[in-house]
This record gives sequence, structure tokens and C-alpha cells, in this order.
Amino acid sequence: MMRTVEILLVIIIITGAFVVSSLFAVLPSPRQVSPINLRRLALTTLQTLDADYALSEIVFKSANDPKWDELQIALSACLPPNIVYNLTVYEVQNEGQQLYQRIKSITNAESLGISSDAASYLTASSNVTFGVTPEKIGERGVGGTLYILNCSDANGWWITGYTAQKLAQDLYNLLSPYFKRTVMVQTTAQLGQILNGTALQGETLQSAVVINTFGETVPIPSGYYATQGSQDSYGKYCYILGQRVRQYNWTWASIVGWPFYYVSNTALFASNQNGWGIYGMVQVSSYGLQAFLQGLDNQPYSHTQSSTGSPGVVYLTSIARQYSNYYGIYPSPYQTATRALPQSIQSTFHLTVTTCIFTPVNNYYAGAVYRHAGTGALLALGLTRTPDIRLTALGLLCDYKPRLYRSEYTAMGTSRLVVLQLGQVGGV
Amino acid sequence: MAGSTIDHLVAFGVFLAAILLFISLFNQTLQTAILYQQHRQLATRCSDMLDNILLNPGYPINWGRTNCTPTSFGLQDPEFTEYRLSPFSLMRLQSLTGTPIVYPKTGLTYSNISAGFGNFLFVPYTIAINYATATKLLGINNTYGFQLTISPIVTVAITETKPTNPLTLAVRAYGSGFPLSNATLSYCFLKVVPEGPGKNPSYSSTFGTTYTNDEGLAVLTFSNVASTDSYALIVYAHMSGLVGIGYKERIISDKRYVLPLIDSFEDRRVLLAHSYDVHYYGPPESAVFFNATFVLLSEDFTLREMPMENSTGKIGKVNYGQGQPYATLTIPTYNPGILVITYESNNEHGVVLMPWGLSSMAFSITFGAQSNNMEWVATDLRQVLVNGVAYQAKLALWSYEGQQVIG
Repeated sequence: MMRTVEILLVIIIITGAFVVSSLFAVLPSPRQVSPINLRRLALTTLQTLDADYALSEIVFKSANDPKWDELQIALSACLPPNIVYNLTVYEVQNEGQQLYQRIKSITNAESLGISSDAASYLTASSNVTFGVTPEKIGERGVGGTLYILNCSDANGWWITGYTAQKLAQDLYNLLSPYFKRTVMVQTTAQLGQILNGTALQGETLQSAVVINTFGETVPIPSGYYATQGSQDSYGKYCYILGQRVRQYNWTWASIVGWPFYYVSNTALFASNQNGWGIYGMVQVSSYGLQAFLQGLDNQPYSHTQSSTGSPGVVYLTSIARQYSNYYGIYPSPYQTATRALPQSIQSTFHLTVTTCIFTPVNNYYAGAVYRHAGTGALLALGLTRTPDIRLTALGLLCDYKPRLYRSEYTAMGTSRLVVLQLGQVGGV
Repeated sequence: MAGSTIDHLVAFGVFLAAILLFISLFNQTLQTAILYQQHRQLATRCSDMLDNILLNPGYPINWGRTNCTPTSFGLQDPEFTEYRLSPFSLMRLQSLTGTPIVYPKTGLTYSNISAGFGNFLFVPYTIAINYATATKLLGINNTYGFQLTISPIVTVAITETKPTNPLTLAVRAYGSGFPLSNATLSYCFLKVVPEGPGKNPSYSSTFGTTYTNDEGLAVLTFSNVASTDSYALIVYAHMSGLVGIGYKERIISDKRYVLPLIDSFEDRRVLLAHSYDVHYYGPPESAVFFNATFVLLSEDFTLREMPMENSTGKIGKVNYGQGQPYATLTIPTYNPGILVITYESNNEHGVVLMPWGLSSMAFSITFGAQSNNMEWVATDLRQVLVNGVAYQAKLALWSYEGQQVIG
């Protein structure tokens, strides 16, 4: 009998345990189990209302402005009927005071129910100007000079629709804030001067960046370079250029097409044309690029052809897109490449790709910076014409990565914080 | 001794019965907890997946403007950040709700995203992205099912209150049952001008701006419109960042008309078919002459007509039956807009519209599968912008796994 009583006691204890555990293990209501993400809904609602900066404009108006009614109408119209809201606008104040001061609230319910969520959105007054100070390349080390070839006595090729001078001006506007010194090389004679190691305006010659705005053509100075470089239809000149790039640790930028395909000097080649009817120009053909790379790698000169590929549509790499946002330079994210350099040049000429502007396709790089194991580098954009010089700027900035110092933008009266709190009503 | 044995036997029997009963009861409690966890996980997954679809352009990032099948699925507009969707990627989704049509002259079946007669959008299955492909690209095939609905937030309803002298139209703008009072309305009114048998119709266009009253209502009047005239009215309403679109057509012929069918996104090419080839109305049939134009919404929210060259195929005729080829037309731009096609056949005439970019006519689309008989469906919402037009994206997600825990 005693055993039966004990068992009954055990049953009572287990029953108690079951009852107590059942109290806690109740499936909550569907709304609690599977809630709408109110925080995301609130954020996307604020982004929608600010799509054409209407929200940013209204929140800076006085509290009795009729525009607030418009905001409330828009808010009510865009939220589902079972969602209640409270939108509160705060002024962001200076340090030493209460950080946020409430300006105005609009709501469509007295209470937001038992569960609600909120998202905040910082708006800036249209009167605010944002200052950005870029770090200068070369500020913390050598280099810092940007040479832009703007030679008036040379012609460009594959820059259809532009002139080299126009591209040079655009590049100057885009890139000069990022360099300690920007020098426009106005003639082929000045190009010869810097190739000889003489500064034009007292700038630092070593570790400079040289942008060739002439497309597939490269300007050639008369005199020494035209004489010494005339071998193999001026293929030797491209070799000498490669040697100079190596000697001065330059980064040579080719903005479009097949680099070093032609050389140009309107006085020197007044009666020569490039094979397509453009005078003042001589075709080096594919030998030019190979000769340049030989010079860059300090190999002996030989008259050898280079090759390029045509991978078609290519896309900016994720890194390039990231820097595109950082520097606010937005070229089209996809381009057509018909003169992409092959991967094999890396091993042949001891180059390393330090920046990949476009995702490689079938071992072809449509846009990349190739840095030599010793000194010197080549930025080559093997895209089809016409050139987008924003890609050159983006490629250089991706490679040098100068920082941007943004000015304070939460100054008093210039920023307001909008908090949208949402709750659900009805249903279970 | 015997009493003690009986006591033990009874006690053991009762204990065994009680243990079995409690195992069963506790199992119920455990199942409840597991079910809760699964539903909670499904809700989290739903929110994540919605963000994944809306905040990712897919790959290639411009797949909406090509005819290729993407290798990664996403609907974000590649030219923007945040919740802005590509109007062209949305166009390439195969509609769950519209009845597909077959066009024998191309031998293709077309996904039907149309919004009633005269507001057509047909995309061939060969370039529309189907549900099976999307689930594979999202990595959820056979594990989860979903239904994605993209619908406009603002509704602009247009009703004809007086058919002539002058033509009077009431425009009502509202969203979620709440009227858009004092909203700005930009409109484009196109009247078909028939030129007689065997000729292509011409058209006259009127553009203007007005405002809604406190009830979200505006009245538009147009003089010189007879009750036998065909017309199309396109209205954009905007207020505080919200943009909505409405449209209305009046036609004199709804049997012989031109049916626009998307042929290539990449080449911006549209086929123009004779309606008899699709609907098989039977004889008598006659050629339909058409004259097309393209209207787009500019950044200042006004509607503008974009001139089309004759070489685009904007003027021509189509006929029914074998030996009568369809016409082709090239949209002049990748910017979203509305293709307006006026047509005329045997003194009957009308106008049809086709959006170029889903948002241009605020079309909604439902993509995915039906959730019928699913044990639990989680839903989540986001407000999104499609080329500046306010939409709501709603995802319903369910699981094909874990059903066995139900006791």
C-alpha cells in the first residue's frame, strides 16, 4: 500500500511540473511569432518620403507650416491601414546642451499598442554646404606630381568626339585636388624636358603620375627622342619611354585602347599619316606596347608584337565600385573592352596587378594598374572608344587611395533627426 | 508477503502508465516550442530574403536590360543604392496571376502583366525569369517557397463623367484608403485623329498640370473631343515624395487593334501584332494601321513626348493570317516611359499603351508560387521606389521542411 501511495505522490509532483512548464511553453500569437519588421518598414517609409528630398525640406519648416499637413497625408497614404505611427522631428544641438530637442510630432493614434518599433533618419538642411578636403598624394612620402599631356603639337587617336586638350582639362579638374602639384605638359618639347629629368615648374619629378590624354597615340618630342627612337617605326621610342618610366618610378596612364600604337608630332610628321588619314602621326602598331614593357622591365630591345584581347562587356570590380562611391566618381559600371591586356604580361615583364578596375574575363584585364617589381607602373584601360576619363581618375584613385576628410555636418540648425515609430493594430 | 507483492505490482503498473502519459504530454509541449522556433526562424528568413532580393541588383547587374538569364537574383536598380528597384528587372519577372498568351507567328508563350484592355505588357517566356530559376538562384529550391508582390502605393483612378462638349474626367488620387489632397497632377492627353481608310492615324497631344482638392479629387476638361473620338489620358500624381500613376483610354474598336509584345530588352525591340492573330476572332479581318509615340516622365515630374524617328518603325500596318508578318518597333531609349500606339482599321480606331519599365504605368506584379495548404506563411513588407514611383514590396515565405513535428 505504501508503494502505491508513494507513486501517487510522484504523479502529483510530475503533474505539478507539467502544469508549471505548460504555463511558460505556450505558443505566442502569430503577430509575436512572425512579426512584420516594423523597423525596416519605418526606415523604407522615411526613405520613400525623402526620395526627392521632400522630407528634408519639410522638417526644416516652421511648426505651423501647411507642408506638415502634406507630410502627414503622405505618411497616412503610404502606410498600410493597420499600421499606426508617430513621427517626431528633433533638432540636433551643439555639445554642452541636450543633444536632441523635440521640434514637432505628428501621429494618427493615441497609443502605438503593446509592441512597436522605430527607425531614425538624419536629414540635412538644403542650406548646408559640405566641405571635403582630400589628402594630397605625395604628402607623406615622395612623388605627388601629376603630369597631364596637353601637347598642342600632337594629335590623338581613338578619342573620337574629344580633343586631347579637352580631356586634359577635365582630368585636371577631376584629379588636381588629389595631387600636391599638377603640371600640364603643353608641348612635345616640354615632354622631352621631363623625359630628360628636368622639372618644368620646380615640381618633384620622381614618382610622378603621367596621364597620356592622346588615346592610342603618344606624343613624341623632336630632337633626341625622335632620332634615337626612330628605329622600327618609332618602336624604339616606346622602349625609351618604358626606360624613363622605370628610371623615374612614374605611373604611366593610358586612357583608352591599345597603348603606344601611334606616335604623334604635327611638325615632325607633317606629311605622314597614321594609315587612317590622320596626319602628324606614325603607326608603331602593336610593337609599341611590347617595346614599352621591355623598357619598363629593363630587358634588351627587340622588335616584337604585343597582343590584346576583346572580352566584350566588362564590369567594375567591387573594389572599384566601393571607391566610386567614396570619391563620388560614377562612370557606367559596365563597359566594352576590345583592347584588354593579357594576364601573361605579368610574368613576362615582372608586373603585379595592384588595382583591378574591371573584373578580368578569360585572363584578360580590361583595366588595371600594373606595377613593376622594381620601379614604374602602367595603368592601361583597354576599352573601346570613346574614352571616359572618369575611369582613368577612378583607377588612379583606387591605386593611390588618398583619404577624404569630410567637414562636420551636424552643426547647430543644419541637421534634424526624424524618428518614425510604427505599431500594429487589429488582428492577432 | 502477498500483500506486499500486490502493492509493488499496482504501484509499478500505475507508475508505468503515469510515465507514458507524461512523456506524451511533455512531447506536446516540446513540439509547441519547436514549432514556435520554426515559425520564428521563418519570419527572420523572410525578412532577410526580402532584403536580399531588394538590396542586391543580381548578376550581371544590368540583367534587366538584357535578354540573359542572371546568375544571381536581385531586383535593385544597379544605378542606385537603398531600396530602389530596377523597372526593367521587374518587367522580366514571369507573372503568377496573368493568363499567358500564345502568339503563333513567333511560336512563343508570353507572360501577361497587363492591367486590363489597352494597358498591355507581354514578355516572352524565353526571356522572362520564372519561379524555378529564381528559387535556384536564391538557393531555396525545394526548401522554401515564396510569393513576391510589388504593388504601387498610390492609386490614381480616372473616370469619365461627361463624354463630350467638353469631355470631363474625374481624377482621384489616394493611397491605402487615404486621399492625396493637394497633390500635383501632371497629365498627358492624346486624341486619336483618324485619317480615313488605308491610312495611318495621327494624334494630337495636350500636356498640363493641376492639383487635387482636399478629397484627393481633380476634374480635367478637354474641349473639341466628340463622343466618337478615341483618346488616352496618362496622369502622374506626386506629393511629398510619393508618386502614383493613372491612365484611361476610350476606344471605338476593341476587336481589331495592335497588340505590343516585347521581343528583346537588349535591343529595345517590340513586336506589334494584329489582335486577330492572338484572340482568333475569325473573319472578317482587315489590316490595322498604327502610329506610335513615346512619352516619358521627366525629373520635374512633367510628362514629355519623346520624338521617334520613322526608322524606329513607329508608323506601319499589321494584318491577320499567314503571309502577313508582324511589325517591329524600336523604343528610342532605355529611360522608362510609355509607348502609346494609336491605331485605325476600317474607320474604327483606338489607342493602346505599353509601359517601358514596369513603373511607368504603375503596374503591379505577383511573382512566385501559391501558398495554398501551407502550414505557416511568414510575410514582410518594405516601401520601395521604382524609378521614383512609390511601391510596396511584400514577400510571403513558407517552408517545405519541418512539417513532421506537428503532433
